[in-house]
Amino acid sequence: MITIDNLNLYHQKTASNNTAKRKGATQVIFDLSLTINKGEKVAIIGPSGAGKSSLLHHLYQRLQTSAALCSQRQGLVDNLSIFHNIFMGALARHHWLFNLINLMRPFKQDLRNIGLLCQQLELDEPLAKSVDKLSGGQRQRVALARALYQQQDIFLGDEPFSALDPLMASRLLEIILARHKSVIMVVHDRALAMSAFDRVIALDKGRLVLDSKKQSINQQQISKLYQTDAVA
Amino acid sequence: MKILTTMITSLTLILSLLVSVNVIATHFTFTAIPDENESQLRTRFEKVALYLEKELGVKVKYLPVKSYSAAVTAFRNNQVQLAWFGGLSGVQARILVPGSQAIAQGYEDQFFKSYFIAHHSTGLTINENFPDINDKTFTFGSKGSTSGRLMPQYFIEQHLAKKPQQAFKRVGFSGDHSRTIAQVQAGAYQVGAVNYKVWQSALSAGKIDTNKVSVIWETPTYPDYQWTIHANVDAEFGKGFANKVQAALLNMNTPELLSSFPRSSFINAENKDFEPILTVAKKIGLID
Amino acid sequence: MALLQNTVYPLGYWQKVTLSIWFIAVVIIPFADIEIVNFDPLLELSLMAQGLIHADFFATEYLFQAIIQTLNFAIIGVSLGLLIGAPLALIYQHPLVSGCCAFLRAIHEIFWALLFLQVFGLSPITGILAIAIPFAGTFARVFHDIINQSSDSPLESIDSRADIISRYTYGKIAQVLPQLITYTRYRFECALRSSAVLGFIGMPTLGYYLETAFKQGNYSEGAALLIIFIALIGTIRYWCPPKLLGIYLVVACITLVEIPTLDSSLLVRFISQDIIPPALVNTLSFADVQWSLLYTWFSDIITLQAIPGAISTLTLALLALAASHFVTLNAHAIASKHLWPGPLVYLGQFILLIGRSVPEYILAFIFLILLGPSMLPAILALAIHNGSVIAYLTVQQSNAIAPPLMQISTLNKFNYHIMPSIYPNMMALLFYRFEIIVRETAVFGILGIMTLGFYIDSNFSEIRYSNALILIMCTALLNVAIDHISMRLLNSHKQSLTT
Repeated sequence: MITIDNLNLYHQKTASNNTAKRKGATQVIFDLSLTINKGEKVAIIGPSGAGKSSLLHHLYQRLQTSAALCSQRQGLVDNLSIFHNIFMGALARHHWLFNLINLMRPFKQDLRNIGLLCQQLELDEPLAKSVDKLSGGQRQRVALARALYQQQDIFLGDEPFSALDPLMASRLLEIILARHKSVIMVVHDRALAMSAFDRVIALDKGRLVLDSKKQSINQQQISKLYQTDAVA
Repeated sequence: MKILTTMITSLTLILSLLVSVNVIATHFTFTAIPDENESQLRTRFEKVALYLEKELGVKVKYLPVKSYSAAVTAFRNNQVQLAWFGGLSGVQARILVPGSQAIAQGYEDQFFKSYFIAHHSTGLTINENFPDINDKTFTFGSKGSTSGRLMPQYFIEQHLAKKPQQAFKRVGFSGDHSRTIAQVQAGAYQVGAVNYKVWQSALSAGKIDTNKVSVIWETPTYPDYQWTIHANVDAEFGKGFANKVQAALLNMNTPELLSSFPRSSFINAENKDFEPILTVAKKIGLID
Repeated sequence: MALLQNTVYPLGYWQKVTLSIWFIAVVIIPFADIEIVNFDPLLELSLMAQGLIHADFFATEYLFQAIIQTLNFAIIGVSLGLLIGAPLALIYQHPLVSGCCAFLRAIHEIFWALLFLQVFGLSPITGILAIAIPFAGTFARVFHDIINQSSDSPLESIDSRADIISRYTYGKIAQVLPQLITYTRYRFECALRSSAVLGFIGMPTLGYYLETAFKQGNYSEGAALLIIFIALIGTIRYWCPPKLLGIYLVVACITLVEIPTLDSSLLVRFISQDIIPPALVNTLSFADVQWSLLYTWFSDIITLQAIPGAISTLTLALLALAASHFVTLNAHAIASKHLWPGPLVYLGQFILLIGRSVPEYILAFIFLILLGPSMLPAILALAIHNGSVIAYLTVQQSNAIAPPLMQISTLNKFNYHIMPSIYPNMMALLFYRFEIIVRETAVFGILGIMTLGFYIDSNFSEIRYSNALILIMCTALLNVAIDHISMRLLNSHKQSLTT
């Protein structure tokens, strides 16, 4: 599905564009090579500042037309309702005129679909409520719902459950895994990463330190990764 | 709140029906800016329109305008076919619309004049000779006015041999004769030029404190306001229409109508009566 | 020594900007035409006061029609301006578009109207276009700025295959829609003012009667008209909720005064004769042109009118800018709920309402009687009007800020929390207004201040449209230059913030 060879990424403070090397930029990914196949469910783990989000955004740029991204920044539009924020996932499927009319007056079909999706995501707020009135956990699920509503083959998630309790997180993860052929997700919860994904990739200081299939994951190796971080 | 907005909307709808939508038709339209008292302008001149309608046998409408230049523009665009112009605006209009004719003037307009007025602090008093107003602050009336601008400027240039901008410390345009009086009376400007009729009626209305402001010089006489008729009227309203309008104006003798202008009566006039105005306007550079 | 070095504390960006505004003002004051000539203002002022006390609401003929037409011009003008300006906002980053918009904005409504008067005559079209065209330029610029402030992150999560219109409306415009609506409503208020001011040159709006009443000293009538006008503006939010705007637009089109039939020959005449320099009017071919005549004509306009006009326009505008800054700070303070209890805040907001509703022309007029003719009345009139507008806009913003939960005095909270939060925005608004101040210097010919606007007005009244047009171009170019400089100032600040 995607292959990366010797990837180097730089982080520029002023612009979100972090691929080209510029003066004053700090390097966040070093010589990273990686191949992810169709159908794989990959978890990316690592201590904070390891370059996970940068890698994920790079993957998104490469996969854009076939992947849905649920980023940490959420990108919710505060003035719009839950419904419209989720509907944004479907913009590409409709004509712009349809989208404009829908902005003023939601169409029945989408209302039903999105209502159903919200139910699945345990988001029982009125669809017309604007998202600035929601709690952190609710907002995260709206962002998640929008990514799901894109109905893509590949799901890219950047800690999509960070504001949710672990039980709900694993229930939602099941839904995500069931609805996508491939999933690449930055996960904070190591236990979840190892129990629910077929493959785990670990990053540390911008370098790939571990890439193994579920069957051969070395528990110790992972613990060490987080420990060194704690010591450093 | 919802009820309130609904009420307001329906109210607006009803009211809007009351504001009649005028039907466009070929009216004979005239305009007039009197040299004093512009209040209730439409109410007053609609009576004149009624009189003309009766005399001429066509629909007559009055179009209110704000300034002489707007009147000239409306006349030039044939939006009005008859206009009560000041001396200067009449000349301008007749240049722009060749063939248009001055057909009547006010009795007083044969020998019109302006007053130079001064604040008492200047120490200037009434005199036969042109006053020494060098380096004073000076205000004209409106920029396009004959009695408030054109003739005063001409006499200033003649006597002081300088442009007003050079002769005076400051030159203002009050926009109106009543304003000129008020500003000189308040001492905002030291000297001003004003239409003599406006001064006289303000004086008799008790609006002037002669201890503060007084006339220091009066200009020689010159022709001023006149009725000018558009070149096209005979073609539009029938042969001899201009003559009919002229007769109607000369026969207007109801004091109520005449007081709108305000003039005691209208007498015959023709284009050449206003040649002095054209000469003066060319001399001071207002007309090329 | 090391201790001393640590106390070096450079000026902040906004401090520098503020000090520069005042520094420039202090430097040019000696060259500005400022004096107080005050002899007997009391008589006229007492007449004005009496007029205010005995306001006569029945002195004006056709008053109801005048109110309706004031509303109609404003509603249709804003709608048309929005229709043209909003799409331009999306391509405003193109220098050509922003230049053209600055050009449209640069010309005062009154001069647009005087130009259209030649083509459409005394017709509602003249008034509506005179509002719609400069407003389109303003909408384009401000909408562009507002949209630019919105975050890009929603766009990131939208499928890149979606079409640009859908992406833009959902990802960008939806974020800032409330600001766009608030701004449109504010522009509607501005349009009401413009609509009234167009009465000064003969449109059948409230200004028609207002100017006559003040001009002729009928202060009781003038006061009544001012009260009606202020009330109209002060109650906009009650009678014009955005939802009803559509209905009002239909009503406005129905109740508009009759439109005289258009005469295309007027347009032809305007283009082929009126705006042609006098030296070229009677020439048939290129060979006939008397170049020396044309040259003297042009250089006379530039040296005798355009350059002196531009100098006094800029002098007046820069002084008015500093004075507006002063008024803004004070006016904002008197209407801030962070400083005063409820009823006093209403009083403060009422003062702002009066300050921004009374046309500058009327203010200048009162100050002229009080202080005598010079730039001073104009500076005061501009400062009060623009200061009140900016204060009104910033008060809306600052009153929405939650006060800090700290046990410090009200004044300290105001100075340390509220002012720093709104000051950048206040200054940005002041720079926006600078352009408007330059435009509005046009109306002060009454004070004997020969601004560019004064010369334009003179040329219109002398029926020299070609001269007027040249000067209008000069004004517009001046404005484009100012716009360019202020954009660069603000942009350089944005860049210095991010690096």
